[in-house]
Amino acid sequence: MKTFLSLSFLLFILSANVIAQTESSANKPLLERNLTIEPAIGIHTNFGTDLLITNLVQWNPTRRLSLAAHSSYNINNIAQRDFNFIKTEYNYSLNQKFGVGRTFYAKRSSHSFFVMGGVKYTAFKETLYNPDFDKVSSSVSAISPDYGIMYSLKKGVKNWFFSFRMYIPLYPWPTKGSNIQYIDANRDNIALEAGIGVKIK
Amino acid sequence: MKMQSVLFYTMRMIFIVVKATFLLTSCNEETFTPNLTEEFTLQSTSNDATYKIKVALPDHYDSTVKLYGTVYVLDGEENFDFVANQCRELSNAQSADNVIVVSIGYGNDRSIDYTPTKVSAITGGAPQFLEFIKNQLIPDMEQRYRVDTTRNGRVILGHSYGGLFGAYVFATNNKLFGNYLLLSPSLWYDNEIAMSMEKENRAANRERKQLVFMGIGEAENAGRMQAPFEAFYQILKKNYAAIQIAKNREKNLGHVGSKDANIILGLQYYFEHRL
Repeated sequence: MKTFLSLSFLLFILSANVIAQTESSANKPLLERNLTIEPAIGIHTNFGTDLLITNLVQWNPTRRLSLAAHSSYNINNIAQRDFNFIKTEYNYSLNQKFGVGRTFYAKRSSHSFFVMGGVKYTAFKETLYNPDFDKVSSSVSAISPDYGIMYSLKKGVKNWFFSFRMYIPLYPWPTKGSNIQYIDANRDNIALEAGIGVKIK
Repeated sequence: MKMQSVLFYTMRMIFIVVKATFLLTSCNEETFTPNLTEEFTLQSTSNDATYKIKVALPDHYDSTVKLYGTVYVLDGEENFDFVANQCRELSNAQSADNVIVVSIGYGNDRSIDYTPTKVSAITGGAPQFLEFIKNQLIPDMEQRYRVDTTRNGRVILGHSYGGLFGAYVFATNNKLFGNYLLLSPSLWYDNEIAMSMEKENRAANRERKQLVFMGIGEAENAGRMQAPFEAFYQILKKNYAAIQIAKNREKNLGHVGSKDANIILGLQYYFEHRL
């Protein structure tokens, strides 16, 4: 938790970098959006084998303060569903997160940084059907916390705009070991998403 | 302010945050007590590779009376210190005799040494690597240290391809080791070839006493790990009368992330149930 708080702090300190660079030219009321819906598709950073269908709803009650709800349906390991007599019957996850953050404005874009938290449901099933052995299936159905940090970019000044976001999960935080590779479950689940946003209000 | 600059600073910031996020985890390098660690090299006659061997001795190592169990650790350069420290902690906690931990470093690419059959240019060296362990390393250990020379006194611990190698040893040279800690074993390799080898040699091995611990990460969802893991576990449990076997699926952790947690549980199982 300490590290998580440190990272959140780091995120906001670094945000100052952007604010310093952007605020002088940012007073463009045109860019301010109170409520947006931003559907997107994306990938995880595990070599792009997962397909993400996501949506971000962002509400800015004030110019800077941002609240967000992020939903994601992930079809995992989409490209390789049958390998060495091992069939993937299904493999998906559902994520629902809520977050709070800040938005900074540039001339034709805005940048939002969120601390997010929610739940993740993962389900997958594999079956070994090698004729030399009995058919055996193994399935996982798990609910876990899902928290992390998210960056959201909105580019464009019209009611329809380009939306990009990156989510870095911080759960599960590695508890043992000193090897950076131990965070593979996190590293492989960094989400990169791109889509079209709509200004509702 | 130009848009390009803003984007540049933004991207730079993202890069720093990502880097900081993941580097913050790599701070605590673990080492085993240096004065209880000995190192030497052995050149394999079977594949010409030179292996760096590290040995962790128990506290108050008795070189005259006692005989110690030995844990042979694959991917030793990564796992040695962690395993040695855990063996010390667990044996102390259970007031059990500690073991000698033997790290086998890399003499070849691990994908050569740990895979039983050749499916590419960098696979298929397990038979030679096993010959090295059997004919050189184990006799050398028995000569240098007070180690238990029976199969029940030997443990092999491997992760991923190392776990595959452990399963291969179980199947083809079951007389060599009595205890197997197989962590996220790559049993999918070459159409489950290690499982086929187990089936071929089952009749010869099935009456022998075995201790097997199998561990995996719950988040290993790449479509190849879970089903063979479960199948191998069920095969061993069903067909080996004198086996002591346990499995663990570590919650929310991936292939590498689950390794240390499963090492701890595997060693714990070994210390509690060893043959």
